[in-house]
Amino acid sequence: MAEAAISVENLQKSFPPARSGWRAFLQPFEKPSVVALGGISFELRLGESLALLGANGAGKSTLLRILATLLLPTQGRAQIAGHDAVLDPRAVRRQLGYHAGSDLGFYARLTSRENLRFFGRLNHLSNTAAAQRIALLGEQFHLADALDRQVRTLSSGTVQRLSLARALLHNPRILLLDEPTRSLDAIAASEFRRFLKSEVLRLGDTSLLFASHTLPEVELLADRIAVIDDGRLLACDTLPALKRATGAATLEDAFLRLTGHAPHLALKDAPE
Amino acid sequence: MSRTLRELWGFFWRDLSIARTYRTVFVLEAVEALFGVAMFFYVARFVDSPQLQHALPQGGSYFAFSLIGFVFLDYLNAAMDTFDRSLEEARDSGTLEHLLVTQTSLPVILAGSAIYPFAATTLRIAVYIAWGAVLFGFPLRDANWLAVAAVLLATLLAFSGLGILSASYLLLFKRGNPAKWFLLGVSSVAGGMLFPVSVLPDWLQLVARLNPVTYALDAMRAALLGGAALHSVLQPLVVLLLFAAVLLPASMAVFAWALRRTKTTGTLMHR
Repeated sequence: MAEAAISVENLQKSFPPARSGWRAFLQPFEKPSVVALGGISFELRLGESLALLGANGAGKSTLLRILATLLLPTQGRAQIAGHDAVLDPRAVRRQLGYHAGSDLGFYARLTSRENLRFFGRLNHLSNTAAAQRIALLGEQFHLADALDRQVRTLSSGTVQRLSLARALLHNPRILLLDEPTRSLDAIAASEFRRFLKSEVLRLGDTSLLFASHTLPEVELLADRIAVIDDGRLLACDTLPALKRATGAATLEDAFLRLTGHAPHLALKDAPE
Repeated sequence: MSRTLRELWGFFWRDLSIARTYRTVFVLEAVEALFGVAMFFYVARFVDSPQLQHALPQGGSYFAFSLIGFVFLDYLNAAMDTFDRSLEEARDSGTLEHLLVTQTSLPVILAGSAIYPFAATTLRIAVYIAWGAVLFGFPLRDANWLAVAAVLLATLLAFSGLGILSASYLLLFKRGNPAKWFLLGVSSVAGGMLFPVSVLPDWLQLVARLNPVTYALDAMRAALLGGAALHSVLQPLVVLLLFAAVLLPASMAVFAWALRRTKTTGTLMHR
């Protein structure tokens, strides 16, 4: 059997309750009682693109952050390219590119090129390899004019593209994107999606797991869609299969039926 | 090894490149240093007397004694402050998570973040001493530079452990630097920074003898003012290196634990 890009088994995550006042001081030592993920299992195949679709607080970012080794699960197992995310995080990070639309994290007074070179070095790229990748990605992402400008002078759309370039800099096999078009305007978001589709996914050697609220984005980019609600995986299938299973005409209807957020579209009305 | 050096160089180059974008800061700091040195010079002129000079461990002027205490405090401050300031900046700029998803190990990220601040502090100290020597007659002719460098390096290593402990505290509790507050507080009284520990009551002299800052300062003054050779400052060097040998690995372990804890509680990026 071919090795999965990502394999998640009964993944659970709970957080300590938020505290204020003097009790906030004890929060690092509180028992985790707020459930964010309630036992999720799925696989991302090699070269596949899988969307995590869910409302705010459904657990999408928590799942991505566990896979990126930025959070530790409470229970269960996550393997990335065969490496355990808890036991062998450095091996996992070798395989990953991570981009969070909410927190782009660049050094504002360095140029784009200096930022990319720095992160390339921390990902063990030689100077020559980094220069070649920066030139290539700069061209692909339409960043050529931005490469030698300080990041603080760039538009949010350009910084978003720069962040994706950073995620791809060391040629990762697996890409984790958390709401990648979150702060982009409609045109920039559309260009960004087109780029992902035509430049990243077309070659089929990068596996993509991304979280999104934007349904057209999910429909355009995802081979399969995982619907998450309240920390539970409700369904994980192709768009036609989801529509068939729910009797919905659109992804939006299918999502609302599955999550039960629209009583008039409840799943029980779906045809057999 | 070469990979680690490349990573460390990357951090140094990052911080140097950022510092170069604030072009006037170096000039302003140099001017500030001049005023600081002048202040110590005139305070010393006001209080200096043959009796006071006789009471100082290496003899000489109170100006030289107090200026070394002051610049050493700057160094101590850097060792204690650098790690949590780097951590705070990385958290506030959103780069912390992006550093932690790279293939670079945690100790290298910590060490790398400290290289430029330490280098900049060393340069600042050199500027202080240079102003003192050029304009106010700070005696440099007897200095043993090899011993000075060894004492500074041992000081950095010894107190970086406390700096990393402070960063661990910051990771967990988000604000505050209790190790720095405690050490600088104790050392400003019982460390021999601006007056010799011999003027303290017995019980505070005991505290001073337990404080590694006292040893570091004694060694620094002996090397810079008294021209003490490396073998003459061996005892304080050994004390500082023992301190480092215990504290550095312990503080790294505590930091790794604190990081694990924040990854468990989901508070890594909380402010």
